[in-house]
Amino acid sequence: MRLSERFYSNVFILPALIYLLIMVGYPMFENLRLSLYNVDVMNIAGTPSFIGLSNYRALLHDDIFWKSTYNTLIYTVLCIVLQFIIGFVLALLFSQKFSLAERLRGLVMISWLMPITVTGLMFKFMFSLNGGILNEILMSLHLVHQPVEWLVNPSNSMWAVIIANTWIGVPFNMILITTGLTTIPKDVYESASIDGANAMDKFFRITLPLLKPAITSLLVLGFIYTFKVFDLIVIMTNGGPVNATEMMSTFSYKLSFVEYKFSEGATVANVLFIILFLVSLGYLKLVSKEEVM
Amino acid sequence: MKKALTSVLMSSVLLASAVGCSSTSSEQQSAAGTAAPAASSKSEATPAASKEKKQLKLWFYFEGKERFDKIASLTQGYSKVDSSVEVVPEFIPFAEFKKRLSVGLAAQDLPDIVVIDNPDHAAYAAMGLFADITDKIKDWPDKDQFYEGPWKSATLNGKVYGIPLGSNNLALFYNKAMLDSAGVKPPQTWDELRDAAKKLSKGDIKGLGFSGLGNEEGTFQFLPWLLGAGATFDKVDSPQGVKAYSYLADLIKDQSVSKEVLNWTQADVMKQFAAGKIAMMVNGPWQIPELKTNAPDLQYGVALLPKGEKYASVLGGENLGVVNGKNVDDAVKFIKYVASPDVIKPFAQSFGYFPSRKDVATDKYWTEDPVLKVFNEEMQYAQPRGPHPKWPEISNALSSALQQTLTLSKTPEEAAKEAQTKINEVLK
Repeated sequence: MRLSERFYSNVFILPALIYLLIMVGYPMFENLRLSLYNVDVMNIAGTPSFIGLSNYRALLHDDIFWKSTYNTLIYTVLCIVLQFIIGFVLALLFSQKFSLAERLRGLVMISWLMPITVTGLMFKFMFSLNGGILNEILMSLHLVHQPVEWLVNPSNSMWAVIIANTWIGVPFNMILITTGLTTIPKDVYESASIDGANAMDKFFRITLPLLKPAITSLLVLGFIYTFKVFDLIVIMTNGGPVNATEMMSTFSYKLSFVEYKFSEGATVANVLFIILFLVSLGYLKLVSKEEVM
Repeated sequence: MKKALTSVLMSSVLLASAVGCSSTSSEQQSAAGTAAPAASSKSEATPAASKEKKQLKLWFYFEGKERFDKIASLTQGYSKVDSSVEVVPEFIPFAEFKKRLSVGLAAQDLPDIVVIDNPDHAAYAAMGLFADITDKIKDWPDKDQFYEGPWKSATLNGKVYGIPLGSNNLALFYNKAMLDSAGVKPPQTWDELRDAAKKLSKGDIKGLGFSGLGNEEGTFQFLPWLLGAGATFDKVDSPQGVKAYSYLADLIKDQSVSKEVLNWTQADVMKQFAAGKIAMMVNGPWQIPELKTNAPDLQYGVALLPKGEKYASVLGGENLGVVNGKNVDDAVKFIKYVASPDVIKPFAQSFGYFPSRKDVATDKYWTEDPVLKVFNEEMQYAQPRGPHPKWPEISNALSSALQQTLTLSKTPEEAAKEAQTKINEVLK
């Protein structure tokens, strides 16, 4: 009886397992295989040869690969820090009881709901050199004398895309922290007040520690979402100018579908995958630890 | 036991539905590919007739119903000439097009005829997508009528892989009122152009605009400068090549060209010109109808691109490629039909193309209109991109160097040298 019960449960897992194998496992395996061959425009229909880890080795000497890795990391870290801080402040603000709090919180969600293509185009217009609204405002406030070269200067364009993505990601952070805040029982704060804790004490000794599980999952999920950025970059800068905003995802895409170096593109995608895989593993470990507690 | 059986059944049903989903989704995709409404209605309308006819598939990426109908007029016209074959046009969005071709090649799921952007022709011929039709058109007298540039773009290593469908190129548009008020004549040489652009720039308004994107579009716009300086794409770090880059950097330094060109598509350039934000622009004839919509009252003229060492322009346009497969002979017949003067003339006119054939180009439609005749004349200076099977990589090197120059983040010498290193890597 025990055995057949186990048999049943396995059978019920089977469909999901097979689905995963076909839809997730196969592409992953194929991508790995592709990265060990030298498939490009000349031999895709013929017989590509196995070249082992040469693609990975070549990548180590590729300036643009390092640049894109560096860019992706900088972009991810700065976006997450900004989104998290602003999202946290907004969550605290809207958890106060004032009229319209609920409605305003709903309105803030708009930037998360908007298609990224639309947001990207909008920011592209706002950041444009002449006639972009941001430059117009800065100029009329006399904060700058020359229009800022947001998207056309390699040293500014990273900031432009970070600002745009922060705007997109703030509501996500806000809503998860808001949810976390509602799980903290009110009586904890009440008894703290009785013990004479001030607002600062309450925040650092109650709110933050009790929010820890929410915050860790938020940061890890945020990392994964941000690290694989693609559409926003393609719309706003397409990795430019001069690779200043080239990300691993856009670099991989360009190798595969602009230059037709399919294997090299797959190699970059695999490195991207490995990084995200490690982060996810860490996340799962964290989550399981919390659950045990 | 019965229970076990049911659950196995259950799971296999689930499984089948999952697999079923994946296969239908690919079918749906191809149905969505023929998004132009006329596509589906047409193929539904003729199932009975097409039963005995051999069907050939034609892939193209021109958007909109109007353009679809024009392509369909070619295929319908052909079925009147040859009743044994039906050519079915299928729309694939441009962004998907190259991916579909590459994937289709690996999966052996390909059309019979492809309308392809001319710089890509050589790359796909090298991949083995296109059939070598050199022998099949050996005795076709019309083949000598084609301009050299377009014809060359459909070849690789002296072998013919298709026929040019239609061409276009780049020329210089100028705003008549702005030139008049600045007392400037349409420039004819690089020196005159630089001078004119400087005089025409005032604050927000810039003298000249072009697209400096870091992709194929940027390369397309950059090539006339490179060729005009007397360089070629395989000798970018020659003094001539460096001159092309430094000339454009000078225009930026003069503030005659906005740095914003780094992010302008050619359509953006046209909009800036229509809005009177730039006095001159480098652009193609396909912008003429758009320009009319955006600025109906704008008085503009078109001139040959100013001469550096020599006159030069870049060749745009599409070719018809015959896909390697079992229908090559029928496909060749079809593309010969399309390229024949009586068919291609009205098609090119309605499509905003310039004829790739000399005999058609002498038609008054292209020789008398003050704007069209300039593009028609420019045709003889228009050079194809490449042709080289690895053109996309070369193009990438050229446009990166262009961006480095226009952002002034590298000197023209450094940028050209870096591009040359990458290009040598490709050419070796």
